[in-house]
Amino acid sequence: MSDLDRAIAQLRACRLIPETQVRELCYKARELLIEEGNVVCVDAPVTICGDIHGQFHDLMELFRVGGDVPDTNYLFMGDFVDRGFYSLESFLLLLCLKVRYPDRITLIRGNHESRQITTVYGFYDECIRKYGSANVWRYCCEVFDYLALGALVLGTSSELEPTGPVMNDSTQTGAVLCVHGGLSPLIDTVDKIRLIDRKQEVPHEGAMCDLLWSDPDEIDGWGLSPRGAGFLFGGDIVKQFNYRNDLSLIARAHQLVMEGYKEMFDGGIVTVWSAPNYCYRCGNVASILELGEDTSNGGTVTRSNGDYGRSNGIMTVDRPGVRSPGRRYRVFEAAAQDTRGMPAKKPVADYFL
Amino acid sequence: MAFSNILRTWQQQVGTRRSYFSCHWQIGGLSLLTCSSPLDDAFSDDLETYQSIMLPAPELGNLPEIDHVMRAASMTQAGRDALSKFVIREEYITKLIPLVTVAEDLESLPDLHRLCNIMKSLILLNDNTIIETVVTDPIILGVVGALEYDPEFPTHKANHRQYLADQSRYKEVVPIKDTLIRRKIRCTWRLQYLKDVVLARILDDPTFSVLNSLIFFNQVEIVNHIQSNGPFLKELFSVFDPRNADAKRKEDAVQFLHQCASIAKNLQAPARASLFANFISHGLFAVIAFAIKHPNPAMRTTGIDILVALLDHDPLMMRGYMLKAVNEKKTPLTDTLIDLLHLESDLGVKNQLADAVKVLLDPQILLQDTMGRAGPEQYSKPRPNILSDAFVQNHFDESAKRLFMPLKRLENRASLSDLKFQEVALHAHLVDILTFFVRQHLYRSRAVIHNEALAPRVAQLLTVPQKHLKLSKLTYSKSRIEICVQPLTFGIVALKFFRTLISLQDTFYQALMTHNNTFGLILDIVYETMPRDNLLNSACLELFEFIKRENIKPIVLHVVEKYGEKLKNITYVNTFQDLILRYEQMQGYGTEAESTIYSQDEGTPARRVPPNGQRWQGVREMDAAEEEYFNTSDDEEEWQHETAANATMAPQMQNGSASPVVKPLVDYPDDDEDDDAMDTKPEGSEEQKQQQLVRQEGTPTPDAATESTADAPSTPGSSTVQTPPERLSEKRRREEEDDDELVKLSSGPKRRTSTSGSPGGAGMLRKKRSVSIGSLSATAEKGTTQSILGTVTGSTAPKRIAINLSSKPLSETDSIDPAASTSSSEKENRDENHGESG
Repeated sequence: MSDLDRAIAQLRACRLIPETQVRELCYKARELLIEEGNVVCVDAPVTICGDIHGQFHDLMELFRVGGDVPDTNYLFMGDFVDRGFYSLESFLLLLCLKVRYPDRITLIRGNHESRQITTVYGFYDECIRKYGSANVWRYCCEVFDYLALGALVLGTSSELEPTGPVMNDSTQTGAVLCVHGGLSPLIDTVDKIRLIDRKQEVPHEGAMCDLLWSDPDEIDGWGLSPRGAGFLFGGDIVKQFNYRNDLSLIARAHQLVMEGYKEMFDGGIVTVWSAPNYCYRCGNVASILELGEDTSNGGTVTRSNGDYGRSNGIMTVDRPGVRSPGRRYRVFEAAAQDTRGMPAKKPVADYFL
Repeated sequence: MAFSNILRTWQQQVGTRRSYFSCHWQIGGLSLLTCSSPLDDAFSDDLETYQSIMLPAPELGNLPEIDHVMRAASMTQAGRDALSKFVIREEYITKLIPLVTVAEDLESLPDLHRLCNIMKSLILLNDNTIIETVVTDPIILGVVGALEYDPEFPTHKANHRQYLADQSRYKEVVPIKDTLIRRKIRCTWRLQYLKDVVLARILDDPTFSVLNSLIFFNQVEIVNHIQSNGPFLKELFSVFDPRNADAKRKEDAVQFLHQCASIAKNLQAPARASLFANFISHGLFAVIAFAIKHPNPAMRTTGIDILVALLDHDPLMMRGYMLKAVNEKKTPLTDTLIDLLHLESDLGVKNQLADAVKVLLDPQILLQDTMGRAGPEQYSKPRPNILSDAFVQNHFDESAKRLFMPLKRLENRASLSDLKFQEVALHAHLVDILTFFVRQHLYRSRAVIHNEALAPRVAQLLTVPQKHLKLSKLTYSKSRIEICVQPLTFGIVALKFFRTLISLQDTFYQALMTHNNTFGLILDIVYETMPRDNLLNSACLELFEFIKRENIKPIVLHVVEKYGEKLKNITYVNTFQDLILRYEQMQGYGTEAESTIYSQDEGTPARRVPPNGQRWQGVREMDAAEEEYFNTSDDEEEWQHETAANATMAPQMQNGSASPVVKPLVDYPDDDEDDDAMDTKPEGSEEQKQQQLVRQEGTPTPDAATESTADAPSTPGSSTVQTPPERLSEKRRREEEDDDELVKLSSGPKRRTSTSGSPGGAGMLRKKRSVSIGSLSATAEKGTTQSILGTVTGSTAPKRIAINLSSKPLSETDSIDPAASTSSSEKENRDENHGESG
């Protein structure tokens, strides 16, 4: 068993690896990521996942529901850290898997993969708490700077005739663009993303910022984002962008959806959210999106994860019009309690004051 | 983060939570803000009802009822207040505690679960007194004992008591004799444990902030006690006396100081200042020196952490001490740090050292009164500056010389491929620091870069990835990646350095770059990375894209004249061809070229014409595609036509994205005119004239006719309607283009790029119309647009949806600034808000 496999086993058990190993891991990850373009090309089949936010046990649940690495190909759309209590375990596990199976798992950057945001929303604090110094946080932030900004899933199914009444567009043929936030007024073609020097802290404005911060909204054109970064963009923008770039879908994360996923604008964009019971109390379900290479799948699968008396009644299985070829959503709930214990932060060890 | 910030964050956050929490918040908010002040009239009825609230006697048999009454009472603020009063008056918690042991003895899980619920409700009453009582000696163990049996986790039992009962967790270097303070320390620790572990999952925001404020005020008292306790400090620092051999105790003392320093970060500035000043006068620097030379990397990290806390607190003061040492012919801290940075083997520590050196030597910091702040006695009354600027410059030069020595030594190195891991990290840090210096203060840094001939050295680093890439191209495999990070790292840091130099638009630095074949080296990297779409390649493209966008004439001239052939061969992106075009325009072909563009018939979309160098090609591209789309009714045919016509360009398009048709755009004028109209700059109006010229010259095709209807509001005439929001948007958009915040210099050419935002919206509308989905008439379009704008800007008649970009807050500053972190928290609140509403 190699060191890396041992580290993976250890992290899967939610136990941290030593600081020196983290450093090595981060360096290896950088070596890999540096070779990736700003937009990574990924072949279908692949499973798209949204925000994780340090909910380690739910990440394990995700792997249970979606299949384990390397049997299933995964694409994580950022926001691995902050908010939950196990950001380190979650991110380091994903990073280990990335280094171990570089072609099987793709990680792109979310708005929380930033120095500024992590100091406010918990990841920094967690690093200090668990490793005693900010070193591990620094290593991780270095890695954040190397993460790709988006991914393009090629070879997804396109043969199926549209099932809903909404597919009167001829755009349902192309690739799927995955990005954490959304579109940017400065980016009209996917190739424009190539022209960004991504190795930097997420800026407060500009194309790179928008890709990580924007949200779709029921408006026309571009709108002011209440988040203070990025923009709101309407269905017309999405249609236009998809048409221009021959995309069938934009998959993004970034916003909590109680149902786990939400398609908008005639299925031109979808929000995928993969942190069930967000912050351990929002009561939402999560989902992953499986993009197949054939037309056999499609629709929604509600997946109960164990018989511990939770209701599955939250799901409305098929909403008319959102069913699209080659897309299958798997919806899942928070990990069973017996698999995770009580979520809590690590207490301070010794104290003088 | 300051406590007030945290509080504010929650206030905002909570407002967005779903009903349960927001309800809690409002209640909690009231109790926070009004404390025990008289309640609103609205509550007075409830008050009557609850005034005499009584809980049943604390017995096991009554637990269901107690639980029930508490839940009911917690529903309203008045009920909560009455309940809190009752609980405090009757010392109810103390009476409940024994039940935990009883229930445990009886192994009655339902009772334990109820007790847990009751304890939770009690704590979530959010009453300061109750929370303070809960963490006191006699009852804390009983309380967390009950909380170990969470009914939500029926199969689990936590072990809070075991953790909290462990006395050995509290450590003392020098005993604190004051019992009150000792008690406060213990309570603070318990509060933290409650917050982080026991209640982490169930904590609502008001209770969270109450816990935080209790912790904060305790810490203020503790720190105050420590710094005013002379004998204590004396004993503490005497631990570091060389005659003292107790190594463990020294380490503990460093840890103790570290903890003080990290608590101090949360204090208000004056309190923090006096604490640090006190520490320094007792010999904190000696402690730091001890720690950063310690053989154990963890100790070194701790030592530097303390130093960084000081630097964060007041870099001026620290520089003052440093200069004072130089003045007194002592070894300044910077020299020590620089030497350590060169030698340090632990990469984490190296990283910290680099950061510390960066701050200490920051050439930007104003130098008046730095000396005055060196020392506690002078802290409040700055003395006149006794050091000349020349002295400071001299010191900076000397330090920089020392610092960049390893970089300079690269000159004699034949090959950079045999560098050790640590050396690579060191050089990366050095270039990073150099980049920082240049950006902070280009004049002060000039001398260093010139005298030490550093630019060629950095350029030398650029050759590393190239050689490597050439190699790895032949035998590229995943396993080889092991060795390739170093060269690529060099490439990236070196590129960043030159990118910064470019953005400064300073003739001295420009000359440096043009004399050292820098661009040749960068182009080599482009060549080597060309087939591979990777980070390094993108960084290079961005650099040239920036030169093009900013139209930095000397560099454009230099690059095209010297490397024209190379540029011509890079066709997979348009950047380089556009650069050549820029050059040609500068040589006087420009006007001709432009007039050619504008006289182009719109009906010949597929023809490759020289793009208008003034514009970002993306805009042109987009409009072209749109235009083509609407030029014919049949989409399929159109696309084929386009593809065929542009066969030569096809390979450029990666990712199967849109057609790269290049053609002058019909769509632009509306936008540009807008831009120009609102632009007060002369070059803008010139542009506008050209645009108008285009309109007149352009042969109207049937499509163009449709278009002109659609774009009626955007004809030059209407574009004269200027509204303030548009100007704002102009500014905003302009800023958007600025990847580098420092460079807001040339606004002329940059402005052109701003149009990229709008065609999307416009084009879409037109598309809708032509596909007749939306069947929008021109007036409808105008109407919608206006109504949208109305909500955002409240302005009249702005034409483009792109205007919506405008009102986004303009300024976001760097992260160290607490204000910045607040603003980012705001973002996040919204994040949650939106998510939940979505």
